[in-house]
Amino acid sequence: MKTSIFVIILLLVFIWYLSFSATRLDRLHHRVETSWANLDSLLQKRAAVALEIARSEIADPASAMLLTAAAYQAREAIIEKRSAAESGLSGALGLLLADGQSSARPAEVVLLRELSELTDKIRIAIALHVDAVTRTQLVRKKFIFRTFRLAGTAPLPVTYEFESDVL
Amino acid sequence: MLTRSLTIGIVCPYGWDTPGGVQNHVRDLAEYLIAAGHKVSVLAPVIDETKIPAYVTSAGKPIAIPYNGAVARVLFGPIAFARVRQWIAQGDFDILHLHEPAIPSISLLACWAAEGPMVGTFHAAAKRQKAIFAIGPILEPVIEKLSARIAVSEAARATLTEHLETDAVVIPNGIYADRYRDGTPQEKWQGNTLGFIGRFEEPRKGLSVLVDALPIISRFAPDVRVFIAGPGDPDEVIKTIDPQLRSRFTFLGKISEQDKANFLASISLYIAPNTGGESFGIILAEALAGGATVVASDIPAFDSLLNHGQYGEIFESESSTDLAKRVIDLLRDENRRVELGKVGKAHAQQFDWKVVADQIFSIYEMSLVSGEKVHLTSENRSWSKFLGRESKGDE
Repeated sequence: MKTSIFVIILLLVFIWYLSFSATRLDRLHHRVETSWANLDSLLQKRAAVALEIARSEIADPASAMLLTAAAYQAREAIIEKRSAAESGLSGALGLLLADGQSSARPAEVVLLRELSELTDKIRIAIALHVDAVTRTQLVRKKFIFRTFRLAGTAPLPVTYEFESDVL
Repeated sequence: MLTRSLTIGIVCPYGWDTPGGVQNHVRDLAEYLIAAGHKVSVLAPVIDETKIPAYVTSAGKPIAIPYNGAVARVLFGPIAFARVRQWIAQGDFDILHLHEPAIPSISLLACWAAEGPMVGTFHAAAKRQKAIFAIGPILEPVIEKLSARIAVSEAARATLTEHLETDAVVIPNGIYADRYRDGTPQEKWQGNTLGFIGRFEEPRKGLSVLVDALPIISRFAPDVRVFIAGPGDPDEVIKTIDPQLRSRFTFLGKISEQDKANFLASISLYIAPNTGGESFGIILAEALAGGATVVASDIPAFDSLLNHGQYGEIFESESSTDLAKRVIDLLRDENRRVELGKVGKAHAQQFDWKVVADQIFSIYEMSLVSGEKVHLTSENRSWSKFLGRESKGDE
């Protein structure tokens, strides 16, 4: 009698732990989605700013062409090619800005400031996203999560391979 | 950048009415955000509930426990937990900002009880603790609920990575740089003078290192004088000073903000001989903002704040001979001393609340992308069904 009560309690605790773990993992997946949505929207904004820069007086015709192409590629890339496309845009922006364009016209100063603020935010957003993804991967590797398939059908998130030094 | 008005809940883990770096940070941040037009509520342990500002909610009386080499005034237990849940349920917060959620106090409880956009700030920089192997599995599921983690310094970030295997964005502590920017030099504090500000009775503030260095310094700079500001009883310290040198020391007691600005603008060198326990070094940032040339020990927080000596001189911690050598060199080289003070002052502007609060706010914005509000977790909702009446009885 005593042992059966003990077993029941143990079973209940175990079920609670499973449900707790499942909630925990669900929350992590949610975090990955949120951080990705945040990063994605910032990247879209950056592409828009890049297009504006391409149209402005800062860019010479050649860099304008390069920048426009890169921005469109980044906007329309499918998820697997997104990192490469965004790195390409970073490169194009880097080339243009490294030339030391010190435009004094207020409209362009505003654009450049907007770009540098966005770059700062993107850097943080990448860090947040990468952290969420690695944490999720780490948790999903654990024994209990694998054995009881707590992840269900959710795909394993992958890190966004954006090299922050390109930014 | 502070565009949208938010309802922000901030949790301070340590007793509100006891002095401390985290409390100051929370107070300044809350007041800055309120001034920027946000609705802010701070939950903190409070000893005397009659003396708290309107934006603070008391979570109960703090308990003093030894933690990390000092006495921490924290709060936990079922009554505190009930209060935390009640605060979250009634606050209707857009976002929660939890300070030190890895310390056994109400920040941890709030992190456990809540769901939704949450940001955590980690202040402490500690050496690796053995106990973390036992604590880690408990903390991990809680800490990973935070949508973003902030560390106040590289040292605090390293502690976090080491202990909880998670990364953080570094945003420094804030200071009101403009309060210290325009101090008027006072003649009484000028000359070959060394300054020290802080609770000098605490061994980890390292005043004894400076006291031990003075015999050597005074041999090369016979007119050197030391000014010490900060609360405490100087008698104990005076006993340890060589009788011949006692006249060189002046204890100023606690000084006002205006005096502090003037003080920092007057002294030749500001000495920060702390031997540890510091995670950011707010006083060092203030000294830089006040235009003082700084000589600081090489503990990790100071080393990263001064960028390995770029913005101030660094000496080997606890070595009074090294301190003496650096002080003498700087007192002799007027140009270098002035130059160091200048770059330090420029560097300190990035710690101004205007910059820091903006950075914190952009982290808030990133956490808000999900569009959720803060609410109690479902686990806790079913809990409160059982415990709801009880916890109301506590109030």
